[in-house]
Parts: sequence; structure tokens; C-alpha cells
Amino acid sequence: MAAVTARAEPRPGLARRFEASILLWAAAAGVLGFLVLVPLAWLFYASLQARGTGELTVANYVEVFSRRIYLQPIVSSLELALAVALIAMVVGAVIAWLVARSDMPGRGLMRSLILGAFTTPPFLGAVAWIFLAAPNSGWLNKAWVAMTGAPRGPISIFSFGGAIFVMAIYSVPYTFTFVSGALELMSSEIEDAAASLGAGAWRTTFQVTLPLAMPAVVSGFIMSFLEALALFGVPAFLLIPARQPVVTTQLYLFFQNPLRVELAAAYAMPLLLVTMAFLYLQRRLIGRKRFTTITGKGGLKRLVKLGRWRWPALGLCLLLPLLSIALPYGALLATSLSRAWGKGPVPGNLTLYWYQWALFVNKPTQVAISHSLWYSAAAATIAMIVAVLVAYVVQRKLLPAAEVLGFVAMAPFVVPGIVLAIGFFSAYAHPPILLYGTAGILIAAFATRFLPIAYSNASSIIRAVNPELENAARTLGCGRLGSLWEVTLPLLKRGILAGWLLVFIPALRELSSAVFLFTPRTTVMTTVIFDLSDAGNYEAVSTLGIVMMLFTFTVVVVAYRVFGRDFTVQRQAA
Amino acid sequence: MTNARLSRRELVRLAGAGGALLLLAACGGGAAPSAAPPSSAPASKPPAPATSGSARASAKSAASAAASASAKPAGSAAASAASAGDAQLYEAAKKEGKVVWWTAYYAQSAADAAAAAFKAKYPGVEIEYIRQTAQVVYQRLTQDLKANVKELDVFSSTDFSHYPTLKKQGVLMPYKPAGVSVLPKDLQQLDADDAFQLGSLGFVVINYNTNKVKDPPKKWTDLLDSRWKDQVTLGHPGFSGFVGNWVVAMVQKYQWDYFQKLAKNNPKIGRSINDTVADEVSGEREVGAGPDNLSLEEKSKGNPIDIMFPEDEAVLIVSPVAIMKDAPHPNAAKLFENFLYSTEYSQAMVKTFNFPLNPAVKPANGKGLNDIKYTRVSPEAQEKGIPEAIQKWREIFNV
Repeated sequence: MAAVTARAEPRPGLARRFEASILLWAAAAGVLGFLVLVPLAWLFYASLQARGTGELTVANYVEVFSRRIYLQPIVSSLELALAVALIAMVVGAVIAWLVARSDMPGRGLMRSLILGAFTTPPFLGAVAWIFLAAPNSGWLNKAWVAMTGAPRGPISIFSFGGAIFVMAIYSVPYTFTFVSGALELMSSEIEDAAASLGAGAWRTTFQVTLPLAMPAVVSGFIMSFLEALALFGVPAFLLIPARQPVVTTQLYLFFQNPLRVELAAAYAMPLLLVTMAFLYLQRRLIGRKRFTTITGKGGLKRLVKLGRWRWPALGLCLLLPLLSIALPYGALLATSLSRAWGKGPVPGNLTLYWYQWALFVNKPTQVAISHSLWYSAAAATIAMIVAVLVAYVVQRKLLPAAEVLGFVAMAPFVVPGIVLAIGFFSAYAHPPILLYGTAGILIAAFATRFLPIAYSNASSIIRAVNPELENAARTLGCGRLGSLWEVTLPLLKRGILAGWLLVFIPALRELSSAVFLFTPRTTVMTTVIFDLSDAGNYEAVSTLGIVMMLFTFTVVVVAYRVFGRDFTVQRQAA
Repeated sequence: MTNARLSRRELVRLAGAGGALLLLAACGGGAAPSAAPPSSAPASKPPAPATSGSARASAKSAASAAASASAKPAGSAAASAASAGDAQLYEAAKKEGKVVWWTAYYAQSAADAAAAAFKAKYPGVEIEYIRQTAQVVYQRLTQDLKANVKELDVFSSTDFSHYPTLKKQGVLMPYKPAGVSVLPKDLQQLDADDAFQLGSLGFVVINYNTNKVKDPPKKWTDLLDSRWKDQVTLGHPGFSGFVGNWVVAMVQKYQWDYFQKLAKNNPKIGRSINDTVADEVSGEREVGAGPDNLSLEEKSKGNPIDIMFPEDEAVLIVSPVAIMKDAPHPNAAKLFENFLYSTEYSQAMVKTFNFPLNPAVKPANGKGLNDIKYTRVSPEAQEKGIPEAIQKWREIFNV
């Protein structure tokens, strides 16, 4: 006792207690403000400006919320997003559990296929599904007519259900990644404890495993919901012919003739209220419960044996990639090999001309591909750094009013890409910070747009680490920053990689914000593809879609292999 | 057994490897000289025309030294007068090095062809261009104006209403190119003060799928026939200036009654007027109100589509062109605007199935302006009519 007391140091003065790390947290908060608050502030300012004169008025809000034709799309959007999120959540959670915690065969294959679905821009999927399921000309419908002699095929992709379907199949990868990330980190001793108390496999799953993964499931739901609210490409292709306008198509109309930027800004504002509501809901649902699963004690993840359900489970899981990858890319491939797509993939119409054009002849395509990869990688890196720092600050309450930072980090996702882009443009097209015309504005816009995903991911994985680990390091003399770098981050490597990919891939497939910020020197793949579809050149669209998917998928798989090798080795019990 | 310290070093090494891989992938994507790496982007201000233009111009001048500098000999008097003034402009333009052009007129392929024709006729003057929809280029221009960014030389929008607005703001340079005299009289002076000139002509016509339709509709009113129920395809006036124009023209002829009746045929509504071509090529719908240029281009590819100039008048879409008052390359801009009335440009247009401006060049399907029955919606009628049309369209079609 005496020896311990003798060794105790005198309490350091105020100057020494100031941790240098506070500067880092403040810097992270500063960058967050730059990325999120400034454009949103400009947006708010724009919503209060009268058309043409620029004087302040609330007339825009009155006009936009008092007319049925503007209120109806809001309701449609909410219904659409809810349906998409529910389906994505259920399907994603089921597949995640099967892949992360059961002994189903082909788990690696499922992961790769889901990654493939994630790489696909949803609007490209919509185009492919139009080839497959348009009421008169869709190939599936034509096959049905040929086989059964019915007058028309049964499916029409130009419907509300069609849009929900297409959005959901490309949204499942979000929920899958969130939930599987959480389930991966869970050691089996908690389940063993349940088993030792007499719970069977199913009961354990539903009453122990899945509730522990609740934050991830809820986060996945919210991400799917907000993305479905903000998508433009799929509603533009499928819901306009279905005569069902939604918020994003209405916003796009505000930017057409006649241009009404101020109405668009006002129309977008209340969507922020939706985010606030959802965040509040998330806090109420999971706020005070304990979800830490990585503790100071070691653990082993053991797989649940499915027995004779192994292969049926795989069959069930493979249904999703069939719908999101096999069929659509098959359709795109067939179209890309046609000289004239209206004649169909028949002999005499087959050609490799479009691939030659895309890869060797058409310089703008090559430039756009390299731009896409660079900008998305830069955006993902920036977003993850800011997200991890901010999530750490929020979870460990390192700054006063840290929760406000959390809200700020989540705010951008509910603002549709188009509107965020306009906010960005207004904010950064003039001194002191002049970014327009450079890659910087695109990178900043992508980083901001997907910061909520990065933050949500970072937040749930940091939440899974019990502070006792860092506190142990700190009692041994490590600073706050040191313990973050030496203890916490290594534990979160895989989650951080997952988060990086969660920003990189959507940035690659992002369209709505890129369309307003690019210039001839900074084109990206999605803008090139969308332009070609607007011009009706579907052969080129299909070819570029396939080329883009191959390229990005290769990069992603390589990155995953290189980083993932460390983590596929399971920790064995000593 | 895990060894945290080792794996962190490895992590850094692997990060380097991953970065190198990304770099390889990016380089393998074939970065053209014009692609600026992101790291240098913040340092550069919005385009410094002099430096980059002259760098490219000096590279090009070596190649063009062999080729003769003057324009190809032209037959008519108007053309030779134009080429005399041209030579002066050409010299001045070469000093400026390039022209920056934003266009919404036609598809990317036609814009590429126009640019190639310009470079072939005037070696030594680079052309930097974007092809985007009218609203996008206009939005970018307005933001540039607000931010006082001067990068654009020539503005080519398909939305007529953009031009009186820009003229009122005082940002357009009045200019009357000599070549304008080749045009029909009523299209020679779109603006009393020459703030903008004619840039492009296109038609909205009846297009149809040739596999399924052996007896195509001959008039706009034929589309109301119940024979075409569930077989009509249209664009949307809110998304497409061409469709907006067409709607106003139909309302002028037949009042909103036309669309009430058309709604009974349950038309498929897309966005761009080009969506009608996609629908007919795929066989999703059989007839529609579509653009002449894309329909003919798809026809030439072998797709089952053709057009019909309606007896109750096709709708002529007149798109202006204008030079910005503060254009960074004013002489190159004037040279380019002149170029739009040349035979070389019109030939490039015809090759891409667009309507030629120069009457000396025959259109793709042989019918010149004098052979077609057309109507044209006045700019004032467009300005008032289109917003109103979008509202009423919404009420009738719910989208």
C-alpha cells in the first residue's frame, strides 16, 4: 500500500491536463461544418429568396406546401421509401445471419455477389429491368407469351411495385453489410450462455443474437429508407411512365423550364425534419441498452449448424443475386452485343463494335472511368476519417454538445443529391473557397453525400467496443489519442474497411449530385451513361454499364483481398 | 495467434499496395492529357485559357504547318465573302487558341461531329465543348454569371426563353455573322438587336415502329383514334423543351381538348422526346410525337423506326446561339458562330441526321424547308405557354 502511495504522482496542473487530442476533435468538427453546414445554410438562404429579386420571403414555402400536386409526391416518396427499407431490412438481415453465423455453403460466393449488386448504379438496374419486364417489349413477358399463349405478359416494371422491387434489390447490400459487420464481431460465448440455460438454436437467434445486432439492423433500415427517398434515376425511369411523381422527380422538374431553384430549396427543407425524426426514433429504440460485444475478455465465433437446411438456405439466398445481377446484366450484355438493339440479340445483329468504341475509340469514356475511381476513393477516405473521429467524439463525449455533431453528420443524406449539389455549387463557386471546375467540388460533394453512411457505420462499430479497453491503455500511460490509434482502431480495421467500401461504391454509382457539378474536365462514368440513355443510345449505355461494373468490381475485389487477408483468420481460443 | 503490432505495419504497407493498385487502375483507364489529377485541382483556378490553350495550340501548329491554313474554297459569293472576313477572324482566333462551347442541340455524336468539322476547317483553334440538356447548361451558366466566372464563349440552348432573359441581363454580345444571309428570310434575324442568331433547326414529327405499323398516322389528330389505344408514346413538357414546344403548338391548333382526348388513349409518358424513339425501337409502343434527328439515326442503324411529316404541320424547333459578352476568346467565338452557317458544318449535321442550316446541303431524307409543312411557335407564346402547359399537363396526366 505504502509503495503504491509513494509512487503516485502529484496531480498535474491545468496546462498539462490539456490533451493535444482536443485540437484533433475540434479540427474534425471544423471539417464537418465545412462539408455539411455551409452548403445547407446556403440552401436554407436560397429557400427564403423571392424569385428574381432575391429579397427574403416565405412565399416559396407557402406555394410548395399548399398545393395538392406538390404534396402528393411527398406521400408517395414516404410510402416508397418505407416499403423499400422494410424489404431490404428483412432480406438483408436474414442473408447476413446466414452468411455471418451459419455454416451455409457458398458464404464467400454470397459476399462477392452482394458486392456486385452494391457496385451497380440502381438506375442502370432500372434500365436493364425495362429490357426484361416492360409490359409489351420486356423479354420475360415475351417469353411468357410465347410459352403460355397469353395475350400479354404478367409483369409491368412501370409501376409503383416495380420501382420498389428495383430499389430494394439494390438496397439489400446496405443492410447486409451493416448487419453482417455487427454479427461478425460477436463472439459465440453469449450464445453459448443462452444454450447453457436451455435455449434452442432458433430461440437463441431471435432472442439473443438478433437483438444484439439491433443497432446495425436499425441503422441499415434508416440508410435504406433515406437512400430510397433520395434516389432520382429509378423514379425517373420507372415512376414517370407509371404516372406516380415523387419528391426527387418533382425537384428535378423545379430545375427544368421554368427554373425555380427557390421552390426546390423550400421543398427540400422539410426532408431534414424526417431525418431528425428518424434519429430521435433510433435513439429511443437503442439509446440506453448495452450492445458492446467486444470486451476485454477473449472470444471465439462459432458457426451455427444448419444440418439439412444448408443447401436450401443457399438456394434461397441465391434468389437475390439472380434478380439483381444475373438477369439484369444478362440483358445488358445481350443489348451491348447488338448493333441495333431494337432487332434483338439475334445472329446477324451481333457485334463487338460497341466494346471497341467504349474501350479504345472513345477517349471521354476512358477519362471518365479513371475520374470515377479517383474521386470516389478520395471521397471515401475523407468521409471515413471524419466519420471515425466524429463518431469517437460523440460516443466518448469528448466535446460539449457532442450529440449535435452526430446530427450534423447525418443531415446530408436526407437532402437529395441534386439539391445538395446546388447547395455546394452556391457555396463554393466563389472566393474565398473556389472549388468549382475542379475535382475538389465533386470529391467534397460525394464525401458529404455519403458521410451519414460512414458515420452510421463508424458509430455502430465504435459502440461495439467497450471503453474499458481504452481506459486500460490510458491507465498504463497512453494518451486519449494514443489509445485510439493503438487499441481501438486495430480492433475496428475490418469495420473501417467495410465503411470505406460503403462510401466508395455508392460514390462510384452516384448520379444526381454529379450531374450538376461536373465540367468537361471532370466527367464521371455515371454522367456519361445517363447522357447516353437520355439520347436513346441503349447499346452504348449497356456496354458502358458492363465495362464500368467489371472495372469497379475488379478494383473492389482486389482491395478486399489485400486488406481482408488479415481478418479472415479467426482468433482461436488459447 | 494475433500480433497487433505486426499487423498494423502490414496495414500501412498494404495501404500503399492498395493505393498503387488504384493508381495502376486509374492509369490503365487511359487518362488523357486533359485529365487533371485531383491533388493539383485545388491549386488551379477555373480554366486559365491562355496557358493550356497555347500549349495545345503550339502542339497542334506543328501538325497543321503542313496543311494550308485557309478555309476550303466555296462556290457561292456569300461563302467567298464570308471566307475573306473569316481569314481575319481566323488569325485572331489562332492567337486566342481555343473556343469553349456548351450545347444542348443534339446528341453527343452530333456534337462530336460538329467539333471535328470545326477543327478540320480551322486547324490551330481548339474546341472545348460540353453536350448537356438545355436546363443543365443554362443552370451552369447562371451560376457562372453569379460567381463572376468567365469561361464560356458560345452558348447553344434549345430553350428559346433562355436568350431574352440573358439579353435582358446584358451578358450577350451582339454579333451578326456574314454567313447568316444563307438562311431563309424569316430566320435571319431572330433578335432585332442581333443579341442571338439561329443556331439549330429540328422538327417534332410523328414517328412509328415499322414492324408493327404498316399504315402510320398522317395527322396529329390521327393519334386520337381509338386504334392507337395503349400504343402512343410521348415525352414530358416539364423535362423537354421540344415536347413543351409541341404541346403549345397543339394547344394553339386544337385547344386542350386535344390532350383530353389523347389521354383516353393512355399514352406512355417519358421525359425526353428521345424516349419516344427508345419505346418504338423496342416495340414497347407503336406511334408517338418524336424528334426527326434521332429517329432517322436509329433508322440508319437498322432499327425498325421511321418518321412521317404530319399533314397538319410538323412543329419546327428553332434554337438560338449566342456569344457571351465577356467571352474569354471572342474572336474564336465569332469564328465558330460563322462556322455554323458553313457547308462543312451542315454536312456534319446531315451525316448525323440533323437538319442542315445551309440550304446548299440536302437534308438526310431529302426534304428541304420548302418541302415541309411546318408551324413555329413564337418566343413570346413559348415563354407564356410552356409553364402553363406543364400545369395543365399535370392535371390531365397526373405526372
